[in-house]
Amino acid sequence: MLRMRSLLPPLLFTLAYAGISLGVTNSYYQLILTLVPVWAVFGLSWNLLSGYTGLISFGHAAFFGIGAYATALGQIYFNISPWLLIPIAAMLGGIAGLLIGFPTFRLQGHYFALAMLAYPLAILYVFEWLGFQEVTLPIKRDAPIAYMQFSDPHIYTLLGLAIMLATIVLTQMIERSRFGMALLAIKQNEAAAEAAGINTLAWKLRAITLSGAIAAAIGGFYAQVLLVVTPQSVFGMLVSAQALTVAMFGGVGTVWGPVIGSVILIPLAEILHAEAGARIPGIQGVIFGIAIVCVILLAPEGLFWKLRDLLRKRTASKAAVSDIAEAAAANVTALKPASRQRGATGEVVLEVKNLSRSFGGLKAVQDVSFKLHKNEILGIIGPNGAGKTTLFNLLNGFLKPSQGEVLIDGRNMSGQRPHVICEAGVGRTFQVMRPFLRMSILDNVVVGAYVRARTDDEARKMAADAVARVGLSAVADRVAGELSTKELRLMELARAIAGQPRILLLDETLAGLGHGEADEVVAVIQQLARDGITIAIIEHTMQAMVRLVDRFLVLDHGAVITEGLPEVVTRDNRVIEAYLGKKWVGHAAN
Amino acid sequence: MTAKSKFTISRRALLAGASGTLIASRVAWAQQPAEVKVGLLVPISGLYARPGTVMREGAEMAIDHINAQGGVKALGGAKLKLVVLDSGDTTEKAKNAAQRMVAQETDLVAASGAYLSSFTLAVTEVTERANLPMLTLSYSDLITERGFKYVFQTAATAGSQARQALPQLIKLAETASGKRPKTVAILTDNTGASIASAKAMREGLLAENQLQLIVDETFTPPLADATSLVQKIRSAKPDLLFFLPTVISDAKLLLEKMNEFGLGQGKVPTISFGIAIAEPDMLQTVSAELLQGVLTCVASWGAKGHEALIAELKTRYKEPWMTQNAISTYGDMWVIKDALEKAGKADRVAVGEALRTMDGGPSKYYPLGEIKFDEKGRRIGAGMTIVQWQAGVPVTVFPPELALAKPFWPKS
Repeated sequence: MLRMRSLLPPLLFTLAYAGISLGVTNSYYQLILTLVPVWAVFGLSWNLLSGYTGLISFGHAAFFGIGAYATALGQIYFNISPWLLIPIAAMLGGIAGLLIGFPTFRLQGHYFALAMLAYPLAILYVFEWLGFQEVTLPIKRDAPIAYMQFSDPHIYTLLGLAIMLATIVLTQMIERSRFGMALLAIKQNEAAAEAAGINTLAWKLRAITLSGAIAAAIGGFYAQVLLVVTPQSVFGMLVSAQALTVAMFGGVGTVWGPVIGSVILIPLAEILHAEAGARIPGIQGVIFGIAIVCVILLAPEGLFWKLRDLLRKRTASKAAVSDIAEAAAANVTALKPASRQRGATGEVVLEVKNLSRSFGGLKAVQDVSFKLHKNEILGIIGPNGAGKTTLFNLLNGFLKPSQGEVLIDGRNMSGQRPHVICEAGVGRTFQVMRPFLRMSILDNVVVGAYVRARTDDEARKMAADAVARVGLSAVADRVAGELSTKELRLMELARAIAGQPRILLLDETLAGLGHGEADEVVAVIQQLARDGITIAIIEHTMQAMVRLVDRFLVLDHGAVITEGLPEVVTRDNRVIEAYLGKKWVGHAAN
Repeated sequence: MTAKSKFTISRRALLAGASGTLIASRVAWAQQPAEVKVGLLVPISGLYARPGTVMREGAEMAIDHINAQGGVKALGGAKLKLVVLDSGDTTEKAKNAAQRMVAQETDLVAASGAYLSSFTLAVTEVTERANLPMLTLSYSDLITERGFKYVFQTAATAGSQARQALPQLIKLAETASGKRPKTVAILTDNTGASIASAKAMREGLLAENQLQLIVDETFTPPLADATSLVQKIRSAKPDLLFFLPTVISDAKLLLEKMNEFGLGQGKVPTISFGIAIAEPDMLQTVSAELLQGVLTCVASWGAKGHEALIAELKTRYKEPWMTQNAISTYGDMWVIKDALEKAGKADRVAVGEALRTMDGGPSKYYPLGEIKFDEKGRRIGAGMTIVQWQAGVPVTVFPPELALAKPFWPKS
C-alpha cells in the first residue's frame, strides 16, 4: 500500500507532463520539453551518488559523454540500433563508474570532488585526440523507427519521460531500502556508518556504478536528440555543472529535487536566450546566474526542502495547541531501576591482550589487557587524553593496533574493518552525536538494524523494537531535529542496539546531560544489561558511573593503572593521583 | 486595476483600431509585395560573439544593397528582411536556436550560418528536416558528406583548401627567395578545422609537393607556454612553419616566443590556416611588426573588386578590414536573392530547388569558381585566398586576379 502511494505522484506528474507535451505543436517548444526530462534524469543520476552520500562529484559528464559517444559511434561504425546502444551505454557507464569509483573513493570531501573533476576533462582530450571532434549520427531514411529517428518530435519527449519515470521510481525504491539508508548514513558520518555495520566502500561503489549507468543511458538518449556529438557538448565543464545546477536548485538528496530544478531552469534558460538574448546578447547568462545565486542564498538546500520546511511550519503551528499536551505525555517512559545480579563471573566475550597503538612517538595505548565477561558493565575511566576513545577505536576497527590482539568470542578480530566487527556483534555509540536531523527517530534507528536484518520489513521491526527498549516509542515518528539532547542520546543508543549486538561500546553517553536526565539514561543502560548485553562504557564523571558499572578499568597515559570493583578503585591512590594530581592524594585518603 | 479598467473602456475603440490596421495593411499589401524573410543563425553571444557580429554586419549590408537596388524583381520588387537568431556558444544552444528558427519563423525562405563547423553540423540536422535551404561558410568536409539536400557550402572544404594552397605557397617561396622549400614543421591545435587541415597535409599533400615533415606538434588551446614548441622549431630549422591556431592568445604567445628566440619576422616563414591569425583583435595583443609577413590561407577575404564594400564596412561598422565572415555572409544574401529570382516564389522548397539547379556564372564575392553547386552542395570551383600581414593589415595576395597587394617572402 505504501509503495502504491509513493508511486502515485511521479505517475501523475508524468501523465500531466505527457498531456502538456501532446498539446504542444511548436517543434521548438517540443524540443525544450524533451530536454527537461533529459537534464532531470542526469540530475537524478548525480543525486543518487552525490545527493545521498554527500560526496560531491564535479565530473558526472564523464559518464554522460561515454554514453553519448557509445551511442553515436556504435551507429556509425557498427550500424547498431540506438534501442540496443542505450542499454549498452548504460553498461559501459556502470563499468566506468566502478573503475572511477574504486581509486577515487580513497579520497574524501573536497579532494574527492576535485579528483572527479579531472575525469571528464581527461576523457575530453582523449576523444579529441582520437579525432572525434565532430560526430554526426547517420540519417536512416529507410528504417527511422529502428534507429530512433522520429519525424514526430512528441515521441522523443515521451521516451525521455519514460526514462525519467523509471529513474524516479528506481530512486524512490533505493531511498526506502537499505541501499538508501546506507548512503544517507555515509553522508552523515562515514565512520559511524562503518561502526553500524555498513560496508561503506561496497555501498559507495554500488551507488557510483548505478549513477554512472543512468548518466550514460541518458547521455546516449541526448546524443539521439542532438544528433551531433562533440567532446565539449558531452564531456565539457558545463555538462557536469548542469547536473549540479538542477539538483542543487531543486533540492539535494531528494528524488524531486533534480526534477523541480530541471522543470524550472531548462525552459527559463531557453526563454531568456530566445527572448532577451536577441536584444541584449549575453544578458541571459547574467539573469540566469543571478536567479541561481538568489536561490542558493535563500534556500541553500534547494527549493524542495525550503518549501517542505515552510509547509511543515504552517501545519505545525496549526497543530501546535493540541500537540503540547501530547508532547508532555510523550516523554520518555521511565524505567524502574531494578537490582541486577552483579555479573563479571560468566564467560569471557571480549578479551584484549597486550594492545598497543602509537601515533609517531606518542604511545596512545600501551600494553592494555583486560577481559570483558558476559553480561557485565565495565566502566573505562581516566582523565582527558588517557586513551579511552583510542582504545574503543582499536576495539571496533577504526584503528589497527600496532601490537596485540582483540579476541571476540575467542576469535582474533584485531585489524578487521569496522563493519566486520559490527557483524561479529559489537555495537558502539559516539561521543559526538550525528543524527539524521530531517528523518524520524524510527528512520534514524533503522540504519543500525540492517546489519542483522535480511529484509527491509524485518529491519523496521527490529528498529521499532530497539526504539521501544530505550523508551522512545511514543515519539518514534518525531523528526530528529526536534529532539532534546537526552532523547538524541537514547536514539543513538537505540541505533546501536538495533543491530542486536552482544557487546556494546558506549562513548560518553552521559555527556551533556543534567542530573535527572543522566539517571534516566542510566536506567535504560541497566535494563539493556539485564537483557543480556555486555557493555563497556567510557565516562569522565565518576558519580553516575559508580552506580552503573560492575567493574572499573582505569587508564592513564594509555596504560592500565588499575582494575577492579568501584568501591576499591575510587579509593586507589593511583587513581586519585591520575585525576587530581599528587598533592590531593593525602587529602583524598581522609 | 487601473490598467484593467482602462482596457474595458477602450475595448471597442481598440477593436475598431485593430480592424482599421488590418484593412490598412491589406491595402498596403495589395500595393506593395510582401517582405521575404531570410534567416541568419550566428553566435552573437558568448565566446564567438565577435565573428558572429561581423557576419551580421555583412548580411545587413547585403540586404540594404539588394533592397536599394529594387529588391527581388521576380516577386514584384519584394524587399528582403533579415531575421537574426543567436546560436549561442555551444552545440546544444545552436541546435535549439535552429529548432526555434524553423518552428517560429515559418516563412523563412533560406538562411545562412552558423560559423563553427560543429554548430553548422547540428543546425543543418534541423534545417534539413524542415526543408530550409542553409548556406554556410563553415568548411568541414563532413557538412556536405551526409547526403543532405538543403545545405550549400560556399567555401572550399578544408581538405580542398590545403590542396590548393600548398603548390601556390611553394611557388611563392621559390620566386621570392630563389630556392624551393624542402622541410616543414606543423604546429596545430586540436580543434576540428585545424585537425582537418593538418590531416590533409600529413596524409599525402606534403609528399605530393616533395615536402618533408620534420616537426609535428599538436597542442590543446589555450597554450600556457610556447617555449618547448619554439625550441623544437629552432633546433629543427624547417624551411616553412605551418601554424594552425584557433585562439588568438595562442597565436600571440607563439609569435612572441618565436621573436624572442630570434625566429620571428620571417626568419622562419610562418603560414597559418584559417581566420584566427588575421582577426582584427590580433592587433590589440600583438604588434604589427611581429605580424609582418605572416601568411594565412583562408576560404575567402575582402579582395580586388570589393574595394567599395571594404570602404563601406570601415565607415559604417568601424571594422579595420573585411574578413571572410563579412564578405562570405554578404555573398550569401546575394545568392539567396538570385535563387529567389530563379524560383519566382517565396517558398523554401522552391528556393532549395533553385539553388541546386542554378548557374549564376562566375562568383563575385567568393574567391574563384562559379555560383553553382554540385550534387553534394559544394560550390563548383570554389577557390581560396592567401592573405598576408603587410604593415598592420592582412591583405589578399593570392590568387593574382583577386590580389590587392603583391606578396613578399620574408627575408632571412
